[in-house]
Amino acid sequence: MLKIYPVLAAVGLLISIVSVIRKSSFFNFLGILILLFGLLKSAGLFIPPFPGQVITMYMAMSIFSFLIYFSIQEETFQAFLEPMRAVLGDEDKKILRVLIVFIALPLLTGFITYTKVVPVYEPPVSARIVHPEPPSQMEFRGKTINVIGLENPLRKDTANFAKNVEDGKKIYYQNCFYCHGDDLDGKGHLAQAYNPLPLPFRGGDTIAQLPESFVFWRVSKGWRGLPAGSGPWNSSMPSFEDFLTEEEVWKVSMFIYEATGNKPRT
Amino acid sequence: MTNIAAILLLIVSLLLPVSGYADDKHKPEEKKPIEASQGKTIYDSWCAQCHGYKGDADAYTKDVTLPLPRDFAFGVYKFRSSAPGEPPTDADLTRIIRKGNPGTSMPPWERFSDDEVKAIVQHVKTFAPDVFSSEAKSIKLDNPPKSTPESIAKGKELFNMAKCVECHGKEGRGDGEKGWQADFKTDWGYRVAPANYTQGWELRNGSDLVDIYRTISAGLAGTPMTSYLDSLKDDERWSLAHFIKSLQLTRKLGVALKVKKVESLPVGTDDAKWKDVEYLDLPIGGQLMFEPRNFTSVITNARVRGVYTPKEIAIMLEWTDKQPSKGADNIPQDSARIQFPVKLVDGAERPYFYMGSRKAPANLWQWKASDDNKVVELIAKGFDLVESKEKTDISAVGTYTDGLYRVVFKRALNTGQEGSPAFMVGKFIPFSVTLFDGNNAEDGNKSAISAWYFLMMEPPTPIKVYVMPPIAAILVFALGLVMANNTKKTRDQRKKKK
Ligand code: HEC
Ligand code: HEC
Repeated sequence: MLKIYPVLAAVGLLISIVSVIRKSSFFNFLGILILLFGLLKSAGLFIPPFPGQVITMYMAMSIFSFLIYFSIQEETFQAFLEPMRAVLGDEDKKILRVLIVFIALPLLTGFITYTKVVPVYEPPVSARIVHPEPPSQMEFRGKTINVIGLENPLRKDTANFAKNVEDGKKIYYQNCFYCHGDDLDGKGHLAQAYNPLPLPFRGGDTIAQLPESFVFWRVSKGWRGLPAGSGPWNSSMPSFEDFLTEEEVWKVSMFIYEATGNKPRT
Repeated sequence: MTNIAAILLLIVSLLLPVSGYADDKHKPEEKKPIEASQGKTIYDSWCAQCHGYKGDADAYTKDVTLPLPRDFAFGVYKFRSSAPGEPPTDADLTRIIRKGNPGTSMPPWERFSDDEVKAIVQHVKTFAPDVFSSEAKSIKLDNPPKSTPESIAKGKELFNMAKCVECHGKEGRGDGEKGWQADFKTDWGYRVAPANYTQGWELRNGSDLVDIYRTISAGLAGTPMTSYLDSLKDDERWSLAHFIKSLQLTRKLGVALKVKKVESLPVGTDDAKWKDVEYLDLPIGGQLMFEPRNFTSVITNARVRGVYTPKEIAIMLEWTDKQPSKGADNIPQDSARIQFPVKLVDGAERPYFYMGSRKAPANLWQWKASDDNKVVELIAKGFDLVESKEKTDISAVGTYTDGLYRVVFKRALNTGQEGSPAFMVGKFIPFSVTLFDGNNAEDGNKSAISAWYFLMMEPPTPIKVYVMPPIAAILVFALGLVMANNTKKTRDQRKKKK
């Protein structure tokens, strides 16, 4: 859909050029407006699209200023108005007059009025921060833990690395895979019942972007720990401090990094 | 000049963290050619947690999945295209690995390359070498005849004649009484239920026509679902497949249910009025946030409809259950709840989607399968603090027919009671649904739940929608007429002057 806007802009440009050559200021005006509209809309191909209101405002300003420009001199203004007058009054433009003035314009106005008066009901949408800032301190079953600078103590125990990861695997497949998926892709067999959908861990844009202290906090506190901006009331992420020990949370964290080939951000 | 330099500096500094991100990016491992021994490596990483390192299903998930993951060492394979008694073909194993078993914890594995899957298949076969000593052949699956009203009707006839109905139930919802018997089990020793044809997303062996034909022809070894390869002719099995396929529902998913205005509320669950209103399907899954967690939930869908009058609202819930329970023999009653916030506020905030919280309580309408259709109204301030209100204005009627529960709740839009939210026309009102299957030991927090959705009582279309557009069009038309006339006159005059 977005791809037709550059074409529209090109058509606008063509109309402007032809009308400059043929000295028709009215079509020049139309062409410039089409060109501008096409360009503003095409921007959406490269950057986040401009909101509709911004475009409407910009177009209104353009129409206004171009009208001033064309109406500064009485002569040019008369020339500008000529095509409109011709359609309205010329004997040989009767068909065009019926089509534009008596059919197209009334229908268009009726349609625009309809879209303005028909009530639209849209359910409220809430923006959600997926990875909120964790607090500097948290409680784990009543014990206070500093989240800032928190590291996984098990990572120092390199001798038992494989065993700890395997323990983490067991914890994952007894507690997490229903939602986050057997393949850690967020597509667990119970996932679709929940909204927001459970997050995937695969890929470089998920847990690879997070320090392990974040994962520890997020797994331990679950929905209860989320700030209002993250919509805790919708989240099905359990507070795993209810089911797991501190060490178990660290183990399952190691497993989800290991299984996806990701590394915690440091 | 300094200004421009400052802006440039700003832009450059904005770019810096972005390129830092790119460096952090996870680099995909390079793919090397696959050797057969890699089958074991992949199996141990990605299958053993369920199917067991020794292929015997003695694994991490054995207490949290149903059906249990396959015990490969046992040597019986459910999903085959081969004749009964024969092992599955390599293509069968590949198909299940690629597509998974819908409605179970066996996921579709799309990430592996074809060579990797080949290696896994070879490894899986090593767990039961005797079974795979002979080469299996697939029965003919291609050239399905076209589905016609006649073939569907013939399939329906066969469905009764071949006694499928005894297990799968009159409407194919898996509620046949044979399935209710205590010894209705698989060869692996766990309970199983006949398939519900209407919910195609749950069919283990796939829901396409050829999948259904394959199931009927080859059967599901190790389960009460036997092969009909010898007892039914080829075209009969295709007709049955046409009939079964024709029963599949199409889900209508979304975020909001439109509740239509009617002259008077429908009477009961069978009222024809319900047929004219839009519905919304809510995916349902086990409650996993609080103990006891429901890992092996069986209800997967709730269909919701609603209508209102200026005074009252009626909401109908519809879901399938293969065996009803009114609470005999210490089995919990089947039950349904609709949940609303106690306080309806503007903005995104609402109570916790399961049973609210101390700060933001939830109001629940609860119906339990019984002879008197008693309704209890609950106020929940969290999963662990639920009280029933002494007085309630809610009434409900529920029916169970051919595997389908339908419950209609009714309430005044505004009860004036504390704790019961007043419903306003035109507002989006959050609601969610909780269901219980007594035969699956669901009770209390062991439940099957939905996320928050909205219902909206649609206001009647305002008159101005019909009136304003024609008026605007006529005005513009008239304006055009006047302008055309005027312009013509001035032009004519000018011409005359010339
Ligand atoms: C989360 C648990 C889980 C994981 C992980 C898993 N499976 Fe399964 N698998 C199951 C379940 C459960 C079934 C049985 C479904 C049924 O009986 O309806 C099954 C069935 C199968 C079957 C069908 C057997 C038959 O009887 O026809 C094959 C083949 C299979 N799995 C292979 C694999 C392979 C290969 C992997 C790894 C790539 C794997 N599974 C990973 C749970 C799992
Ligand atoms: C004795 C009981 C019984 C009878 C009779 C029976 N079935 Fe089944 N059927 C089952 C059970 C049990 C399952 C589910 C097995 C499972 O999920 O492991 C099933 C499953 C199915 C499935 C779906 C498999 C899937 O992909 O999930 C189809 C299709 C089916 N049966 C068709 C038929 C047809 C057609 C007939 C009659 C010709 C029939 N069945 C007769 C017990 C029966």
